[in-house]
Formats: sequence, C-alpha cells, structure tokens
Amino acid sequence: MTKNSGASPQDNQQQDHEPHDQRDPRHALNSLNKSLDKATRMVTQGLVKGFGNERWQSLTIPLLAIFLSLLTISVVILIFGNNPFDVFRGLLAGAGWWPKENYGGGQSQLTDLVGLATTLTPLLFGALGVVVALRAGLFNIGVAGQMILAAFLATVLVGYSDMTAWLARPLVFLIAIAVGALAGALIGFLKYRFNIHEVVSSIMLNNIFMLTVSYFITSSHQDPVSRNMRAASADARLLTEPVQLGEASARLPVGFLLALIMAFLLWFFLTKTKQGFEMTAVGKSPKAAQYAGIKIGRTVIVAMAISGAMGGLAGVTHYMASVPSIAPGVLPGVGFDAIAVAFLGNAHPLGAILASTLIATLVSGATYMSSIVGVRQEIAALITGMILLFTACGGYLRSWLDVKKRSLADANANTDDNATKGGDDA
Amino acid sequence: MSILNVNYAAILVDGLSFALPLLIIAIGGIYSERSGIVNLALEGLLGFGAFAGALFVASTVGLFATGSDLPMYLSFAFAALGGALFAVIHAVLCIKFMANQVISGVVINILSVALTGFLTSTINATFFGEASERFMLQTSPRWDIPFLMEIPIIGAAFTRVYPFMFIILIVATFFWYLLYKTKFGLRVRAAGDNPQALDAAGVNVSRVRFGAVVISGALAGIGGMSFAYSISTNFSPAIYMGYGFLAIAALIFGNWRIVPTFAACLVFGLTRSAAFQLLPVFDASAAVIDLAMTAPFVVTLLLLAFFGRSNKAPRALGELYDKSKR
Repeated sequence: MTKNSGASPQDNQQQDHEPHDQRDPRHALNSLNKSLDKATRMVTQGLVKGFGNERWQSLTIPLLAIFLSLLTISVVILIFGNNPFDVFRGLLAGAGWWPKENYGGGQSQLTDLVGLATTLTPLLFGALGVVVALRAGLFNIGVAGQMILAAFLATVLVGYSDMTAWLARPLVFLIAIAVGALAGALIGFLKYRFNIHEVVSSIMLNNIFMLTVSYFITSSHQDPVSRNMRAASADARLLTEPVQLGEASARLPVGFLLALIMAFLLWFFLTKTKQGFEMTAVGKSPKAAQYAGIKIGRTVIVAMAISGAMGGLAGVTHYMASVPSIAPGVLPGVGFDAIAVAFLGNAHPLGAILASTLIATLVSGATYMSSIVGVRQEIAALITGMILLFTACGGYLRSWLDVKKRSLADANANTDDNATKGGDDA
Repeated sequence: MSILNVNYAAILVDGLSFALPLLIIAIGGIYSERSGIVNLALEGLLGFGAFAGALFVASTVGLFATGSDLPMYLSFAFAALGGALFAVIHAVLCIKFMANQVISGVVINILSVALTGFLTSTINATFFGEASERFMLQTSPRWDIPFLMEIPIIGAAFTRVYPFMFIILIVATFFWYLLYKTKFGLRVRAAGDNPQALDAAGVNVSRVRFGAVVISGALAGIGGMSFAYSISTNFSPAIYMGYGFLAIAALIFGNWRIVPTFAACLVFGLTRSAAFQLLPVFDASAAVIDLAMTAPFVVTLLLLAFFGRSNKAPRALGELYDKSKR
C-alpha cells in the first residue's frame, strides 16, 4: 500500500519542479501528459506489486476495499466540515482500541474492550451462519428473523423462570440452537420441496417472525417503562457477574469464547470432513454433486439448519447480553451486518473473525465518536456499506490485476527504453 | 364491533393504495430481471427514491403557495430520478465490475439504509437546524371520482383515492407498452433470454441491460414515494419495511410478466387491508395490528408454495454476458 500511495505525489512534485519552456503551452501540456502517463503507470505498477500476488489476495483485496472506503468516507466527512481523523480516532476510542480522554467511574479501556467483545459475539455467530449457507450456495438473509425468534423463546421459556445460572445458561444456548436450526431448516425445506428462492422465503419469514414476536410482546410480555420485552433474569442472561479488571469492573460475555471455538469448528467441518465437502460441492455445482451421488435436498436442509442454529446463537448473545431485551417491531441490524461480515471475511469462518472485529469496532465505537466529534453515528453504517461496495468489486479488481500483471511482464520483457511507450495501458 | 359494520370500502381503497405502489416497484424488477440482471436492490432503490423526493419537498418548503399540490407531483419526478441514479450503482457493479448480482443487490440495500439515514439526520441538523431523522411531507389530497364512485360495490374503490394511484396507472401502462410492443422492450426481453442472439443482431447487450436497471430504479423510486405519502406522510428509515422484497415475490409469482404480477400485487394489497379491517373484530387489542401485518407475507409464502413450481425465470438471469460463450 505504501508503495503506490507514495508514488503518485512524488511524481507530481517532480513534474512541478521540472524546468520547461513557459512560452510554449503545447510543450507544457506535452510534458504534463507524459508525467501523467508516468504517474498512472507507476500507480498500476504499485498496485500490481502490492496486490498481484494471488496467494495473499484474499487478505490484501479486502484491505484495499477497507482503505478505499475509508478514503471515500473521509471525503464525505470533509464535505460536512469535520476532520476525518477525529472521526476514526473517536471510533477506535469508543471501541476500546485507543485510550479515551477520560473515563467515567468504574470504566477503563479494558471495559470498553469487553464491551467490544460483547458486541462482536452475536455478529460473529450471525456471520458464521451466513458463511455456512454461502458455502452450500445458499444466501441466508434470514439471520435477523432466526435471532429474534430464538431470543424470544429462550427469554420466555428460561429467562422468566427462577433456574440457577448453571442450568439456565446452557439451556438458553440449547434452545437457541434448536429454534434457530428449525427456523433455518424451514427455509431449506421450502427451497428444496417447493422451489421457493431462499432469499424470498427468508425475507418473508423475517417479517413473519418479527411481527408475531412483536404481537406477543405487546400483548403479554411488555415492560411498562421501556416498552420493550421484559428482560430475562440475571441468571439466564449471558453475562457473568461483574469481574474486577484493575480499577474497573465489567460483566464478561459468556458466548464470546464459544463463538471463537465455533468459528474453528466450522472451519474444520467445512474443509476437513466429508459432510462439509459435500456441502461445498453442492454450493459449487449442484448438478455435479448430484451426479456424484450427493443428496441435494438433505444437504441443503442440513446446511440451512446449521446456518439457522448460528442465527439462533446470535439472537441470544445479542438480546440476552449485548442489549437489554427485544424491542418490538424492529428487526435486529446485527442480522444484516452479519451478511457484510461474511462477505468481507471472504465467506470463510476464520475470515469472519477478522471481519466481525472490524464491523463490531465500527458499531460499538459509533456512539462515543458521535458524542465527541459531533458527526452522526450513522456514519459507521455508511462505512460498512462502502466497505461492502468495494468488496463487491473485488472480483473485477482481481481480473484487472491479472491483466495488468501480464501486460507489465510483457513490457518488461521488451527492451527497457521501450518503457516510456508502455504508459498508454491505462 | 361485529363483522357487519366493517368498513368494506376501506378494504378496497387501502388494498389498491398498497397494491399499486407494489406493482410499479415490481414492474421495475421485471425490467431488470427480464434483461438478465437479478435485482434484489429494489428495497434500497425505493428507499433512496423516496429520500430524494422527500428531500426535494423539504428543501422547497415556502417556494410554493401553501396548499399547492405541485411539490407533491414534482416529488414523484425527483423520486424517479433519485431511484434511477442509485440504480446506476447496481448497473455499474453488475455490468462493468462483473460483481455477483445477488451480492450487489444486498450491498445496495445496506448502503441505501445507511446513506439515507445518515443524510436525513445530517441534512436536518446542518441545513434545517432541527434534530430529526425524518423529512415531513404535506398530506396527500384524496379524490372522489364522480360517477364511478356511484357504481354499487366496486364504486367504493373510487372514493378517497390518492392521486399517486393515477400516476402509477399511467406510468405502468406506458411501461407495459414499452416492454411488450416496442423494439426496446423486445431487446430487453432478449437480453435476458438469449443475449448471444441479441449481440449477433448487432445490439449492445450491456447498454440494454444498463437501461433496464436504471428504469427499474426510477420505477422503484416512484413506488417508494407513494409509500411515503400513503403510509406515513414523511420520509424516515421506517420506509424500509421489506416491501421491495414483497415486490420481488410478486414478480416471481407473476412469472416475470406484468399483468399476472398486477394480480399478485392485488392479492397482497387486499389481504393486507382486509386483515387490518377484519382482525380487530376478533381481537380488540392494539397489538393485533402486528399480526395483521404478517398477512401479506404469509399469503406470499403460501401462494409461492402452491403455484411457484411451474415458474420459469428468464433463461440468462443472473449470468454475466460473455461474448465468447455460446
């Protein structure tokens, strides 16, 4: 990255200091053209050097997408009269990566990091759900609905009882997995049996689940003050008792380690087991998979069940840890951010860990940034959107780099003084 | 309250006022998908269109005489423009950058929600000096159509109608004609079914597809603006209610053809308004509205389950056009 971003300003400077005939405008234009050509060539060369290596492209291309989106967002922030670096520093500070100016009582940078882990957990679970489905060639945008349904049932069945924490918390996880898996399998079943595209059915089910849950909340489980669902008991919630961290104390998210372990388990499942291989095969080419004797229908339903189970886990770790309870009438944004995370992480379980850290940083840093810098916190969602936009162009960038790499190799194979002519390849 | 004094006229009018915006969005989807570009971006396009229209209304307050309906009509033009501009992103991503069309659609949706949310509150704070995340619109006038409203039973559909319903009927008829009766329409349909043949006939496939996607954005924008007037009389992020996806379900159910899609939209609209009017008869609590709102989604799923199997998508839908492929 440093190579090409450094190259073009240097080049422009050279052009400014170049002595040329002031009286002949054509000459000036000519030399300007030449140096522009040279600049584009150097940028191209830099890009190919930095991003042309196929082995690292699954890492370097998302990095480039992130850089480009931050660049674009900086322009937007500048237009509204703020300093982009203040915004980025505010986001990092809010998420605990950077020290804040001052901390309230019982808080520290460490508690902010714990808060980040709490936000990250449902995002990672959700993204893992999207990743499993993507591997099987399915697009699960039903994570939001699976989340809300699982969290609602877990709260009603366990959260309102007086079970001890050792019984309640495992039960919450089990209910989440079971409910989510059923809700996910339903989408797979509708696709396999009735040929309903999973995108359409999961959108319909999202709304059906959300509205039905919201009906039950407003009719019988509403908290009179917050208007949200009555919160689950502390023993059922997925946060530990306050733990002392230096001078500050925080409640640790119970699901965080589980989410990390799940990412590795899924990576193992998808890449090292027969079932996982069959799933990938169905995703790559259903016809070839069927010819090889893989049962398509079963694979689709199983993939969606696993995906839904992850969605359910995302639901309980969101509504029973990250936020107090379910707000009626709203689908959780996490369910859609999870899609962004999955794509950004290259549809890879381990990539999802890195990507969810980034998106969770944006989400949990937004409020603090907004209070310090005064830029609306929606900018965080905008950054996510821009990153996705540039990630979507990743495939094009790859083929572009491939073409450029070959043409540069050709140019280098020719004589060296030919290089000045090679500039017209932009 | 008994089943006898339910307002049946309201079922018809409300049903139509929901079905028609859905129809125009679905026609937009049909254009894009018939040209071979999957369009899951309708939700984002309708939202951005409504944003553009509402921004026009909010920024021209005071320029027009009070009570004038002109800004309302103009807002539909700006909504179409906004939707079309935003659709350019989808077209560029899918056609020029060869992005996965499903992913691109999702990206557009996420970007649209984020961008309109950010811009609405920032513009309100920076230029209008108020902390609000919505642009207010003036209430749309509602017309009683003389003579037609006196017809028994169906006459109810001609009382208290929104002007946008006529705008949509006119625009929809025009785009029906364009798709089925003109050279351009034939090219759009060919681009989605057999792009190689279209190319062989000397037509630029990418350009046809680009045009179709931009049209889909404009039409979705008009639909979004209608929802902004009929459902909430303002623009806020609450406009993203999943209606764009409902339009996709309608067009799949209508087999990618305009007239059957209209029928599907009518079914959704009437189910929705009937549920709104009828459910309170059985359950008087306010919460029941939520249950009523599930009706169109449940009906969609059931209809797709029973009738969706025979559907045939355009043959080249979702495929990149590659000249060298046969």
